[in-house]
Amino acid sequence: MDAPPVFRQRLLDAIPRLRRYSRSLTHETSEADDLTQQTLERALAHWRQFDPERDMLVWLLSIAHNAFLDGRRRDARMQFSDPSDLLRTMDAEGGSPGADVGLRLDLMAALARLSPDQREPLVLVCVEQLSYAEVAEALRIPIGTVMSRVCRARQALRRHLDGSVTEDGSAGTPRGAEGREGPPLRRVV
Amino acid sequence: MNAPRYSDEALSAWVDGEGSASERAEIAAWLRAHPDEAARVQGWARDREGLHAAYAGVVDEPVPAHLAAVVRGTRAAPLARLVQWDRTRWSGWRLAAAVGSVFLLGAVVGGVLGSQWAERASLARARTAAVAVATAPQGWLQRAAFAHSVYTPEPRHAVEVRAQEEHLARWLTRRIEAPVKLFDLRAMGFELVGGRLLPDGPGKSAQLMYQNADGKRVTVYLRKPEPGTDTAFRYEQQGKLGMFYWIEEKTGFALVGELPKERLLAMAKSIYDQDATLPAPSLTPPAGASAAASAGAGTSSAAATVVPAAPTAPTSTVAPAPAASR
Repeated sequence: MDAPPVFRQRLLDAIPRLRRYSRSLTHETSEADDLTQQTLERALAHWRQFDPERDMLVWLLSIAHNAFLDGRRRDARMQFSDPSDLLRTMDAEGGSPGADVGLRLDLMAALARLSPDQREPLVLVCVEQLSYAEVAEALRIPIGTVMSRVCRARQALRRHLDGSVTEDGSAGTPRGAEGREGPPLRRVV
Repeated sequence: MNAPRYSDEALSAWVDGEGSASERAEIAAWLRAHPDEAARVQGWARDREGLHAAYAGVVDEPVPAHLAAVVRGTRAAPLARLVQWDRTRWSGWRLAAAVGSVFLLGAVVGGVLGSQWAERASLARARTAAVAVATAPQGWLQRAAFAHSVYTPEPRHAVEVRAQEEHLARWLTRRIEAPVKLFDLRAMGFELVGGRLLPDGPGKSAQLMYQNADGKRVTVYLRKPEPGTDTAFRYEQQGKLGMFYWIEEKTGFALVGELPKERLLAMAKSIYDQDATLPAPSLTPPAGASAAASAGAGTSSAAATVVPAAPTAPTSTVAPAPAASR
């Protein structure tokens, strides 16, 4: 049986958010829309797995996350965006007028240099404005890991923005290190 | 005194609104007493807002039709659907143009559109039929009319990029490789709504859409012309739709609308004049604003002597840039 109309309608309503998330991950409009399309197709194919009690957006972001990782596995080449590419992308997609274009460019360029492990939680928190619990659900990682990855992503982003990082993107901590992080809201006296 | 020292993780989570109210209040109080830490945390908060703002525009974009079609389960061949959709609404010539401009020059020129078009077609260079469709004036004119008919009835998604977005002209100029200027038609009661990028045979074209207080819409179709195809103003009437078109060195223009010929002509003249006086958007990425200002003159003066219907001197009343582009 095909997905019911009410499911399709909710899916339609979610497209703008999915496109935004995809865009923040790939920085390339056409690639982002491919990712959105894959997400929609997977959601339609697995609509029975969706629990209506849950937040549909979180479920969809989770699918998008998996599709993104699958895509990266297929195409292991590192994505690197230089500012002029980003400028073209932003021209193509339009930004909100009035904001500081230079700052936005810097932010987007710095974001593009983060590892996906860091970029995804940071984007979900800052752009999609999900709670840590929702991010944990979407990415299927513990909340403590969300917390540490967001924190490290933030520090790395700042290092990129402050220019204290070389072009090889050596900022940030090695992947897989987040398991060693302590409990959330640890207070060190 | 042993003031609590918070980990970066705790402070980062605080920026994101995590934690209980009492935890949050404690951290806020601690930050007030530690300005250095507070400055760092404020930087993170600014990054958070900046990232959100950087992608805020995406959610306002029209949903691409192919994505909506995936969800609706209506992913048929786009052209077939378009023809189907419009079978009831479109007059025969437009339907023929839609199909013909893609597939069949013969049908367009010979069978359907009659001698008027055939005459014009005879001026076209001897190329293969497909290339001729793509490049002959009537080919793109059909596409201009077609695009007008497709997009002007759209209530919400009439344009891809709204007029308020300053990069509209710059973006379209770069995409179609011809200067796209945001003409000011407010003197004739028409405000710029925005624009979109369109396929144009093997190339690309731009459509600017204008709307008056009554909701009447006209479109300006812009494309990079083939070398040596300059023409004077010409007028075509197809059913209710009137079209003024002309080709200059760098840009081919078609003004399309369901308006009396005199009103369209006034707009065409205004566009013609403004094209000579408005600065052209820069073709290179705008490292500084200076590039944009330099390329303006000389793009479009060539046709002045071959345009019988237009004034020979540019008017001086044209605003340097439409306010709508701000």
